Amino acid sequence: MIELRDLTKRYGDTVAVDAISASIRPGVVTGFLGPNGAGKSTTMRAIVGLDRPTSGVALVNGRPYVTAPAPLAEVGALLDAKSVDKGRTARNHLLALGATVGIGPRRVDEVLGTVGLSDVAGKAAGTFSLGMGQRLGIAAALLADPGVLILDEPVNGLDLDGIQWIRALLAELAAEGRTVLLSSHLMSEMELVAEHLLVIGQGRILADTSIDAFIAMSSPGVVVVTSPDAGALASLLTGHDVTLTAPQAGRLEVRGMTADVIGDLAAQHGVRLHGLVAITTSLETAYLELTRESVVYTGTVQHHAHSPATDPSRSAA
Amino acid sequence: MTATTLVEPLASVGAASRPSHATIVRRQTLGTAIRSEWVKLRTLRSTWIGLGSTLLILVGFGAIAAAVSTGSVATPDGGGGGGGGGPFGGSDPVSTVLMGANFAVLLIGILGALAGAREYGSRMITATVAAVPRRWQVVIAKATVFTGVALAASVIGILGAFTVGMSVLSGADAATVALTDDGVLRQVLGMAGYITAVGLIGMGLGILLRSVAGSIGAVVAAFMVLPPLAAALLPDSWDPILQYLPSSAASAFTTVLPAGTEVLGAGAGAVVLAAWVLAALGAAVVSITHQDV
Repeated sequence: MIELRDLTKRYGDTVAVDAISASIRPGVVTGFLGPNGAGKSTTMRAIVGLDRPTSGVALVNGRPYVTAPAPLAEVGALLDAKSVDKGRTARNHLLALGATVGIGPRRVDEVLGTVGLSDVAGKAAGTFSLGMGQRLGIAAALLADPGVLILDEPVNGLDLDGIQWIRALLAELAAEGRTVLLSSHLMSEMELVAEHLLVIGQGRILADTSIDAFIAMSSPGVVVVTSPDAGALASLLTGHDVTLTAPQAGRLEVRGMTADVIGDLAAQHGVRLHGLVAITTSLETAYLELTRESVVYTGTVQHHAHSPATDPSRSAA
Repeated sequence: MTATTLVEPLASVGAASRPSHATIVRRQTLGTAIRSEWVKLRTLRSTWIGLGSTLLILVGFGAIAAAVSTGSVATPDGGGGGGGGGPFGGSDPVSTVLMGANFAVLLIGILGALAGAREYGSRMITATVAAVPRRWQVVIAKATVFTGVALAASVIGILGAFTVGMSVLSGADAATVALTDDGVLRQVLGMAGYITAVGLIGMGLGILLRSVAGSIGAVVAAFMVLPPLAAALLPDSWDPILQYLPSSAASAFTTVLPAGTEVLGAGAGAVVLAAWVLAALGAAVVSITHQDV
C-alpha cells in the first residue's frame, strides 16, 4: 500500500508534482500514466525518499520509506536501469545491495536466474545492453522479496520475450497481494497489464480509476446504427437519455445507450436494423482525450496571463 | 518461447516471487551498510590498482631515494650523496626512506575522491540511498571501509619502505635509524595516518562535489598546490594561520614539510588534522542528507 498525501515537489519555480493525493492499493497492478514531464518519475522518486518532497508525504505501508527497518524488503524499485557501477559485475552489484538487508549469494543467484542473467552474472554491468540492464534493475527490485514494487518504464529496451515475461510477472506479483506501481508511456502496454490507472498531467492527478471505468468515463462508447427506418428509430430513442447524431441518411450515431438496449428497443417496435456496431474507446484514445483537455485548460490559463497589457515578452517580440 | 541471443531463456514466471524458501531479510543497520560498502569497494578493480600502486610507490621510492642519497645511484644533476635534499633524498634517514609518501598521499587522496564521487557519475548512488535511506550511514560506512583499506595499505607500504630503505642505507654504510629509536615509530605511523586522513578528506570532497574530476582537482589543489603557493606568496605573518592547513598540521608528527615556519606540537597537529577529516565528512553527511540524489 502506497499513500500520497498532498505530495508536492518544486524545483525552483517549476512545480513538478502539485499536491497529489492517491492510494495505490495492493493486489492489483496500478498503471501510472502521463506525458513526459508530468511528474511520474518525481513521484516515484519521492516514494522511496530519493527526492525530498517540498510538502506533503508519501507513505509506504503506513510509514515513510526512510523509516523502514529493512528498506529493500519494503519496496523494490526500478527507477533508473543505468544506476549501476559499470566496472562491477551483475552478481557483485546485487551482492552489494543485498548485503544491506543480509541477503547472500543464494538469493542473488536465484533472482539472476529469474531475470535470465545467470550466464552473464560475472560480466561487468557496463557491457550490458539496455535490455540486460533493465533485467538487472528488475533483479535488484525483486532481490529482497518486497511487498511493494515501483517500476519506472520497465519495458524500455526489452525484447518481445522480455515484455511478455514482465507482463506476466507483474500480474502474478499483484495476484500474490503485492502493491505494483508501474509507469509507462505505452498506453497499449497499460491496457494489457494494469487494472487500475493513475493518470497524471502537469503534476496533478487527472484520473484515479479502474481501466474500465476510465474508458467509460472519458468517452462513452458510440453505437453506430444503420437502418432504413432511421427516422422512426430516432423518434423512439429521443425519449431516453441519449445523444443522437445523423451523419448521413439511414445512419445514426447513438451515445449513452448500449448496442443491446438499442437492438432490443428496435425489435420491440419492429424497426429494421441493417447494422448495429458498438465502437469502444481504446485506452489510448481515452488517455489522449484526457490529456488534450488538460492542454486546452492550460491554453485558457495562458490566454489570461498573457494579455497584451501585462505580458512584457509580447511587446518585446 | 524463443531464446534471445544474449541471455538465456527466461525462467518460469514467478520464480522470484515463489521461492522454494522464504527470503529472509534482516534489519538494515550501520553494520549492514558497512558490509555493503565493503562488497562494493573490493569488487572494483580500481581499488586494487590504487592500493597496489600505493604500496609500490612507497617501497619503490623509498628504495630509490635511499640508493640516491648514498650516492650509489647517480642523478642527472651531478650525483646524490650525503642525504642533502634534492628531489630524491631527505634531510634525515626517515624522510629519505619515506620519500614515496608524498606521492602516496596524492594517490590515496585521489582514491578517496573516487570512492566518494564515482557513484554520482554512474548514478549508482540512487540504488545506494534507496537501499540505505538513512543516508548518514552511507557516508560513515564508506569512510569506515576506506579507512580500513587505506590504513592497511599505507602501514604495510611505509613499514616496507622503512625496512627496504634502511637496509639500502646500511648496505652503503650510511646513517640509519631503527623503529625503536625515539620518535621514529610515531613518524612512521603518523605518516600512515596522514595518508589515510587525506583519503578521507578526498572522500568527503567527492560526496560534497559529486564529481570525480572536480573532487580530484580539489584534492590536488588542497594538498599539492595550495600549501607551497601560500608559503611562497603570503608574508611570514600568515604562518600562524598556515600551520592549521592539513598538510602543515601533519608535519607536526610526520616527515611532511610545513607550509610556513611555525609548526604545531605533535598532539595538536593530530587533533587539527582529525578536525579537517571530521569537517569534510560532516559536510558530506549534511550534503547527502539534505539534497536529492
